[in-house]
Amino acid sequence: MLEKILPANIFSIFDKYVNFKCVNEIRLRVDKPIVVSIGSQKFFLSSHGTTGNLKEAILPTKTMLEDIIFRASECSIYSVNEQIKRGYLVTEGGIRLGLGGDLIEEKGQIKTLTNFNSINIRIPHEIKNCSLSCFDYLLQDNQILNTLVISPPGAGKTTFLRDFISQLSQRNYAFNVLVLDERGEIDLGNKGCIGNFADKISFASKKTGFENGIRSLSPNLIVTDELGREEDVEAVLTACNAGVSIMASVHSDSIESFMKKVLFEKIIKEKVFKRFVVLSLRNGPGTLEGIYNENLSRLGSKIMR
Amino acid sequence: MKILLLIVLASLCLFFGYKFYHKYKKRKCFFEALVFLCQKFDVEINFSRERVQNILLNLDEKTKQSLCGLVENFLCCLESQESLDKQKLLKNISFLSEDESNRLFLFFKSLGRSDVENQLKEIKNYEAKFNDFFAQASNEYKKYGKLSLKLSFVATLMVIVIFL
Repeated sequence: MLEKILPANIFSIFDKYVNFKCVNEIRLRVDKPIVVSIGSQKFFLSSHGTTGNLKEAILPTKTMLEDIIFRASECSIYSVNEQIKRGYLVTEGGIRLGLGGDLIEEKGQIKTLTNFNSINIRIPHEIKNCSLSCFDYLLQDNQILNTLVISPPGAGKTTFLRDFISQLSQRNYAFNVLVLDERGEIDLGNKGCIGNFADKISFASKKTGFENGIRSLSPNLIVTDELGREEDVEAVLTACNAGVSIMASVHSDSIESFMKKVLFEKIIKEKVFKRFVVLSLRNGPGTLEGIYNENLSRLGSKIMR
Repeated sequence: MKILLLIVLASLCLFFGYKFYHKYKKRKCFFEALVFLCQKFDVEINFSRERVQNILLNLDEKTKQSLCGLVENFLCCLESQESLDKQKLLKNISFLSEDESNRLFLFFKSLGRSDVENQLKEIKNYEAKFNDFFAQASNEYKKYGKLSLKLSFVATLMVIVIFL
């Protein structure tokens, strides 16, 4: 998919000199060097691959950025404007482009994002069995425990969720799983890696997705990415009251910093989540720092990758 | 020899007459199809946010034919990942004036580049302009197209009369 998005000259450099399987992020900023994240390291992109030398780095132009966005939208920016308004764009292969530019607001509502000046291309990876070491901790009496995956950005939350759903399917746990894929990232853009027992609602807000999903698809488990707003927490509480298990993720550096977040006070107090899986970038994305129970006591600690 | 010359001259008169007639007819059909295309874009974008490529691929054959390969050229440019080139876009379309070809190029260049509201506004503006071109082409067709066909018949008859 990247060959369809990136300009031919940039893609050919990646194709020749860089292993795409190792690339996590490509950051393009107008007239600033292209930065490639490989594992937890960052490099500049030059005409002969990655480099640490700033003078050799390629500087993208504004037109280049606009062309990337145009192509990522399949030559129809208007068709993805709702995503652009939220600051991102997800392409066919689940590749997410985070966008920076000028937000146009009218009467308190975001109209669009224009005058793009930076793009963060996040390349998803399917890392098989990355959730395996936690698997047994997250199931009890043939039921999936409400689980929250905690990690900083880029540490493998979505990859963990994706693999967990896939593991359920592979082990023939016939739970009706509802994947609420707000940004179209969990299923890697319809690659079918969420197994045989999962339904999917894409690009809907958590509130709408939870309501519609519970009503129409009667799931046993709802999997969703990145809780971050009050209405997300409300949606989780509503789902729990309806007897549905929840598996979600949240941005946070550690369990300690998560506990300090006011937004999740109620969730922690009411012990809504029975398991907390903490991931970090310490030994590269997906490093398992620990599994905690509802009392926030550590249950296990293994290195995943 | 005389008869042969007569046939050649008569054919030439008819050929040029038909050529001019065909040119004006083609221009008229071209702009008519272009206005239809704008209306199609307007509806499809407004109601289903359908992508540019899908709209063009699902266009009926008659309209595609009337657009003289313009749709295929544009899709080809999109596939090639290069920036839109006027020469490539208007390949094999020789009957447009400079102003018309510039407008056409700008129209295709603007497709898919903005949000719904602005895209629809742009399409409406271009539709109005293409409507003007269509009205002009229709007038030319009525005036000169049919006239050139008639004149070619008259010239053919005159040639026949002179030679016989």
